[in-house]
Amino acid sequence: MGRAPEHERRPRSRLRRRMLAVTVGAAALALVAAGCGGSSGSSGSSSTGGTKTTGGTATLALPPSTTPNYVFPFTSSEFISVTNSDYLALLLYRPLYWFGQGSQPTVNNAISVADPPIFNGNKVTINLKHYMWSNGTPVTAQNVVFWLNMESAVGATDYGAYTGFPNTVVTGIKAVSPTELTMTMNKAYSQTWFLYNELSQITPMPTAWDRTAAGPSHCTTTISDCAAVYAYLDTQSKALSSYVNSPLWSVVDGPWKLSAFNADGHITFVPNKSYSGPVKPSLAAFQEVPFTTDTSEYSVLQSPSGASKIDVGYVPTEDLPAKPANAAVGTNPLASKGYTMNPLPVWGINYYVVNFQSTTGNGPIIKQLYFRQALAYLMNQAAVIAGPLKGYGSITVGPVASAPVTSFLSPKGKQGDPFPYNPTKAKSLLTSHGWNVVAGGQTTCKTPSLCGPGVKAGQPLKFNFPYATGTAWQEAEYTQLQSNAAALGIKLNLQPKPFNQVTALAAGNCVVAKIPCNWDMADWGGGWSFAPDYAPTGETLFKCGAIANSGGYCDTNNDALINSTLTNSSNQALYNWQDYLAPQLPMMWQPNADYAVYEIANNLHGVWPLSPTLTFTPEDWYFVK
Amino acid sequence: MVVFLIRRVVQALVVLLLVTIITFALLRMIPGNVAVAIMGPSVYRDPAAIKLFDTTYGFNKPWYSQYLLWLAHIAQGNLGYSWKLNQSVVSLLAVRLPKTIALVGISTIVALIVAIPIGTIQAVRRNKPADHVFNAFSTIFYAMPAFLLGILLILVFAIKFPILPAEGPQGAGVGVIFTEFNAMILPITSLALVTIALFSRYMRSSVLDNITEDYVRTAKAKGASERRILVRHVLRNSLIPIATLIGLSLPGILSGALITEAVFNYPGTGLLFFQAAQSSDYPVLLGITVIVAVATVVGSLLADIAYAVLDPRVRYVSS
Repeated sequence: MGRAPEHERRPRSRLRRRMLAVTVGAAALALVAAGCGGSSGSSGSSSTGGTKTTGGTATLALPPSTTPNYVFPFTSSEFISVTNSDYLALLLYRPLYWFGQGSQPTVNNAISVADPPIFNGNKVTINLKHYMWSNGTPVTAQNVVFWLNMESAVGATDYGAYTGFPNTVVTGIKAVSPTELTMTMNKAYSQTWFLYNELSQITPMPTAWDRTAAGPSHCTTTISDCAAVYAYLDTQSKALSSYVNSPLWSVVDGPWKLSAFNADGHITFVPNKSYSGPVKPSLAAFQEVPFTTDTSEYSVLQSPSGASKIDVGYVPTEDLPAKPANAAVGTNPLASKGYTMNPLPVWGINYYVVNFQSTTGNGPIIKQLYFRQALAYLMNQAAVIAGPLKGYGSITVGPVASAPVTSFLSPKGKQGDPFPYNPTKAKSLLTSHGWNVVAGGQTTCKTPSLCGPGVKAGQPLKFNFPYATGTAWQEAEYTQLQSNAAALGIKLNLQPKPFNQVTALAAGNCVVAKIPCNWDMADWGGGWSFAPDYAPTGETLFKCGAIANSGGYCDTNNDALINSTLTNSSNQALYNWQDYLAPQLPMMWQPNADYAVYEIANNLHGVWPLSPTLTFTPEDWYFVK
Repeated sequence: MVVFLIRRVVQALVVLLLVTIITFALLRMIPGNVAVAIMGPSVYRDPAAIKLFDTTYGFNKPWYSQYLLWLAHIAQGNLGYSWKLNQSVVSLLAVRLPKTIALVGISTIVALIVAIPIGTIQAVRRNKPADHVFNAFSTIFYAMPAFLLGILLILVFAIKFPILPAEGPQGAGVGVIFTEFNAMILPITSLALVTIALFSRYMRSSVLDNITEDYVRTAKAKGASERRILVRHVLRNSLIPIATLIGLSLPGILSGALITEAVFNYPGTGLLFFQAAQSSDYPVLLGITVIVAVATVVGSLLADIAYAVLDPRVRYVSS
């Protein structure tokens, strides 16, 4: 699974991404997969037709309050974010494998730097395509080894996406030739898992980067040299004003290079003339512009002028038109301004956490499956999506995302919400397990032997619930859940807190992280996004003792099923696991909002569909007359 | 006068020191691990990364040691490094502060130019139609939240009648303010209208207080014209509290600038502070706090000095 956050390094990358969405406020809306693909998900003026032109400058609005500020693609924990990777580094430096193909979060072989990996037992062979760096040297297997050596040397402490790769799974790496690389794994792994969650992290680095302040170094061949090289590159990446002309950062293999970089977020890219990929940029330039809030961005969208015009922007949640049932989008408020509206789901799931390790005395209650199921029946996902989300969201059905619909999702998962809103069932579960349900009052345990081990007679269903403030639809969701629970005598003591405080408290496994466990339920609002480990296999989120297993759910059967997904390439292993785990409720599933609802200028083609991995390929964009 | 100045400067330094101590202590009392807030929860699995962060930024030391270290850095002009923005606080402020100063400075000057005559007219025409009209407008703008006023201005002048840009000047440096000055009109108007309402009400009260003073009656008895009495005597004395008010209003105006900057996509210091607070970016919070505290204390000091210059009684009483 992805790293999180925030936007937060999944928990690095995942959290980070979500944070982005939350903080910016532009994000947080999610679209059902069926409605996302191609032009069928569009509204307003048609964006088809016209004659393709070469040149022009397309302008993309950055998410609110975010600006790229770290160009080195071997991104440290401090700086890993959607903004730094998707809006900057990935445009300049191409990863070994690109994920995001149309509206699917799958590997895109066409624009990957390497051909599909060839697996043979515990050995994998990677053949590089003919890509060139902008300084005239080819992209070689040694450039890949350069990355792997650095990850071996400093990944554990300095690489934000670190999962233990390659050291924990790879026993041998060999550059057979300038274009061929082989890896020997400690056992045969699932090909999908190895490609989507391990090889997905690699970005070849040019030899020009293998240096320190003292001069050229040898990280490509000597791992012990890598720490110093990393320190030098990290320092250089903090010199924002040097990005454009830096002898390091100006060596690119992506379709774009920087022509202007302002630390306030105004960035201009121009085509890299030596780009080796299949689609060369048609635009003369691609600009990113910053915004303080989504409201200010929307003002510019509504009132474009010569100096302030946006070709790809987004609509704030509060300004979104409600989406009618069975429609892909609502009536586009900017159709008359020449824009087409498209919602973009994010490849991830959303949940609030229940703390199995709570020290408040409620841990024994939370460990009871019937209680979690009763609570799940009180979350009205459909109503939240139809109401506060105005239709731009998807139901979380388990540990694998339901939007967009992928082959990773089991047939059972495709059937929808496993716990549709049903207070009657919830009440029945409680009363049949020894609880004296007092509607509107305080439900207490009447028969401890039925309530469950560790639950005391008279113990109330009363829980503290810190949550991150700042996102209107989520606050409405919490209020609704609180009200639904109160109707069965369950008291949720909602505690609004800043995002950072909630993540610091509840986004990590409190026992493993050795931090206080004195909370019952929590929600930082971001859930989990699958990037840059794109296969939703669950080892970092749901296994016993995993740091991102925030609630401390632990089940040996679940662990065995997860292990099976890591070694078995068949999707059936993934189906078996998710079908087992979804009703176990290791986290409490809640709606996943779309990342954003985009407005795309009708005379700019090639933008849609954007990828649910949140990557951009502006080399595909072109203006029409 | 010298003794008065020395005393006020010493007081100002003490206030500044207290502000830094209180702010530093409050920030350190915020719950949650700073390394986790910055790097995300998954960093828990890398204790070495947390340790590296704490060591790098001094979080492994007692808070008072951190404070003294920070104070020593400030003395050298080093306000720290923003973890979130990957820039030194000084370089951030070098870009953002001039923009805020320009916005606040121009809007304050505009407000004074408009508010002083309005307040004076209101006092002279007390309880007449002009007084009631201006009173109504100043009450409306004084009560109106800055963000609402900003949004209304955008709706009317950028969207409904698109004659002005919806956002402030974009681009690096404060020079862009002058090359795209039309983009400054709405932000300045937004901030100035609220300030005009404040200043004009004070000016009205001040003129009313002075207009009944003995020296006015004396001037009238000597045959001075109404205009001369108003301009040479009443207005000059009435401006004394306004001078004080400007200094004391600085934090309030900066707060208003925060909202105005957000609404008009004008990345200044106020917005930087708000974002830093959201992301636990302590160096930025502390850096801006110091700058604003210095500005406030210096503003207050200058107001006191101006007051002393304008009104000799202050010097005599102080000494």
